[in-house]
Amino acid sequence: MAFLIFSAIFLAIFYLHFSLAHRAWLAIRGKQSSELDMGYVRLEDYFGQSFRRKLKHWLATLPAATNSTAGLRVYDHGKERIYVAPTVQYPGGRVEKEILVTEGAFACGPNCDFRNELMVKGDGDIGEGTSLQAIAADGALQLGEGVTVRRWVDAAGKLTIGADTAIHSRATSRTAIEFLPGAYAQSLFAPEIVTEGRNDDSIELSAGRGALVQVPHRAGETARAANGFDPAKLFSMGGGTYFYEGNLDVTAPLHLRAPLVVRGHFSCGKESLLESDVKAHGNITIGPASVVKGNLVADGNLVLKPDVYFQSLLQAGGEMRLSFGVRGLREKLPVAAHATRALTLESNIVINGKVSSAHRVIAISTPMAWLQSKKARA
Amino acid sequence: MAVTAVIAVSWVLIVLSMLVLGAYAVRHYYLGYSRMRLEHPRETNELVGFVMPRVTVFIPMHNEEKVARDVLQALVDCDYDWELLEVIPVNDRSTDGTRAIVDEFAGRYPFIKPYHRTEGVGGKPAALVEATELATGDIYLMFDADYVPGRAVLKMLTAPFVDPEIGAVMGRVVPHNIGDSLLSGLLSLERCAGYQSVQQARFNLGFTAQFGGTVGGVRAAALRAVGGWNPESLTEDTDLTFALLLNGWRTAYVNRAECYEEVPQDWAVRRRQLSRWVTGHTECLHNYWPDLLRARFLSRKEKTDALFLLAMYLTAPIIVIGWVASLVLFFIPEAHAVPVLPVAMLIIGYLLFSNQATFLEIGVATLLDGTRLRALLMPLSLLNFFANTGAICNALRKFYWNRFWGSGGDGWYKTHRTRMDAEGQSFGAGATPAGAAKQSVKGLYYASNEGMGD
Repeated sequence: MAFLIFSAIFLAIFYLHFSLAHRAWLAIRGKQSSELDMGYVRLEDYFGQSFRRKLKHWLATLPAATNSTAGLRVYDHGKERIYVAPTVQYPGGRVEKEILVTEGAFACGPNCDFRNELMVKGDGDIGEGTSLQAIAADGALQLGEGVTVRRWVDAAGKLTIGADTAIHSRATSRTAIEFLPGAYAQSLFAPEIVTEGRNDDSIELSAGRGALVQVPHRAGETARAANGFDPAKLFSMGGGTYFYEGNLDVTAPLHLRAPLVVRGHFSCGKESLLESDVKAHGNITIGPASVVKGNLVADGNLVLKPDVYFQSLLQAGGEMRLSFGVRGLREKLPVAAHATRALTLESNIVINGKVSSAHRVIAISTPMAWLQSKKARA
Repeated sequence: MAVTAVIAVSWVLIVLSMLVLGAYAVRHYYLGYSRMRLEHPRETNELVGFVMPRVTVFIPMHNEEKVARDVLQALVDCDYDWELLEVIPVNDRSTDGTRAIVDEFAGRYPFIKPYHRTEGVGGKPAALVEATELATGDIYLMFDADYVPGRAVLKMLTAPFVDPEIGAVMGRVVPHNIGDSLLSGLLSLERCAGYQSVQQARFNLGFTAQFGGTVGGVRAAALRAVGGWNPESLTEDTDLTFALLLNGWRTAYVNRAECYEEVPQDWAVRRRQLSRWVTGHTECLHNYWPDLLRARFLSRKEKTDALFLLAMYLTAPIIVIGWVASLVLFFIPEAHAVPVLPVAMLIIGYLLFSNQATFLEIGVATLLDGTRLRALLMPLSLLNFFANTGAICNALRKFYWNRFWGSGGDGWYKTHRTRMDAEGQSFGAGATPAGAAKQSVKGLYYASNEGMGD
């Protein structure tokens, strides 16, 4: 009897096991996979442009507007409503649940709450403490202090992100982004990203002129251990790339002339010239006023000290900090800096391209900026 | 006395096979769980479009008139800057209409520079050796002729080269003909687990990914540093992965760089494909294991992982040896003196443990891909498992036989294509946007301005 019960249970499980598999097979038989989007192209301002396209399509295809008064048109789109108005100026504390489109300028007072997307065809001015879902502007856009954006921000004109503003997704502009202290976002992309206290007068490039350490050393030269560099730890990987065993902490100006992989931490002295890529299995610290022409990739943290000029890409598996006076610019292509953890931007930073983080990009105010602005005021 | 010896040997073989397979099961569990928890993500998606080296794309072709048009059109439609792009279709002694198709594209697009091979040793590695001499790119990318890259794939594959330690890169292949036969459905599960779970988990954990010879690429300087392609190898991709690794270069994996492929639809084609992979892979094991153990660039963990990877096909005969030893013990009455229950528990426990490990990888992959319906096919994977075990054992038998007698072994074998479309119609649901306009440099980063203001 026990054997029969055991057999019945076994057969039932066996049947269930394969009958489900068989049914799954019948469901996919004769079909082709359609999981890939073959036309996908990565665009930095995808959210803003996608919203503009969708909105344009809706307004072109939805039934005629209802409840139209004094230039305001109202469209019903499923459970949502779309308000289209010529220009809008809201007082403080206004709560708006619908999608709002303004054909001209838009401004709102403090502490408003917009629970759906906003499309501004002119310039936009968002009052402090306001909460937004997402906003696209065809003109310039100013986000006041302490604004919260639950999703993205996209502007065709200059985008000013006020102090202590929080953007939980991407911020993009086709002109420039000014990113004030205390503000954070997941990613910023613009032809020019600037933090507070910009001062281009202080930029003076002298990197590489007095380099004491050459890596690799020039042919015919006898290399000896000095200034934190030990030639005995340098090996060729072939293809003109070198590998350094352990930490490489160069205390003098360094001139790097070939791609280098450091199996440890890497740092170099002030006014170094890095003409090639560097990868470090640990942290990377670039000395003040250095020029970086190659890419920097750190498995750990990456720090650019004040006045470093980079013309390349930066990637950190940990945190990244771009200090006061850092400049990022290169010909033909924008530069980019990405960190897996927080990416901190100090004052007086100008980057032509993108800064992003899997955690957050945050701007902070540094004493140098305060001193600089005080000096300028004086 | 003889019976006692047979029993003893059988037990030793069972225990050894359980130890080896148990070690593989632990590895599979480790990778599966790591991927499920999305630990240590390593990706370069945020840098896509910012790393724009000069690229040469090779497309090895041998009688590919059914598919040549699709891959060439897809590359033309890619969003990579044409100024920085060079496509070399390597027409290896084709006797069908491949040459005419390639020449037609070359006439229309100056960056397509065909290389027609009319003599020499056949096979992809030998053809690549010759074509590489013509290449001017800093990065060489490769697509088999039956693959159709999406518009962004070239940029995605070049992004990891921001890291000077990366010598090669591997993208993900996705079978499109999942419903053409039960085999293709089961192979789609296998591919899904292999890429989404195993490759990504290994890369995230700091191990080198495996270069697969297609939907991937290699840094030109790194390739030169290791002496180029190995024309003797049946799996030049695996050979290159380990040659690079021994010199300190890593292979990156980009899960988002997806590309449709056509998987075998019948078991005969699958057996021959598997046979080539087994032979090439095992050859690499013999060539590289001593150097791997001595490698100065690798940690102990990396060496262990690399050896596990190279020896993976040896698990098939080890399983069979375990089965045979179990059967021997079953049919010898004297062997039953051993306490049955704990031994049976041990064997059942092992079987559950190890099977679950690979099933976990498939489950995690289908979960991450959002293809849960396909996960229900898993019980039928047993069919694939038995077929694979037989084919691998047979391929290994032939490999070691040829090695022992010093004979040549199998030559390079091209997987049979079944796509019927010869008229240039793209396949797959999201067809390549034929005739897509080339974008300006600015258009590479910003969407086209379709604002409301116009």
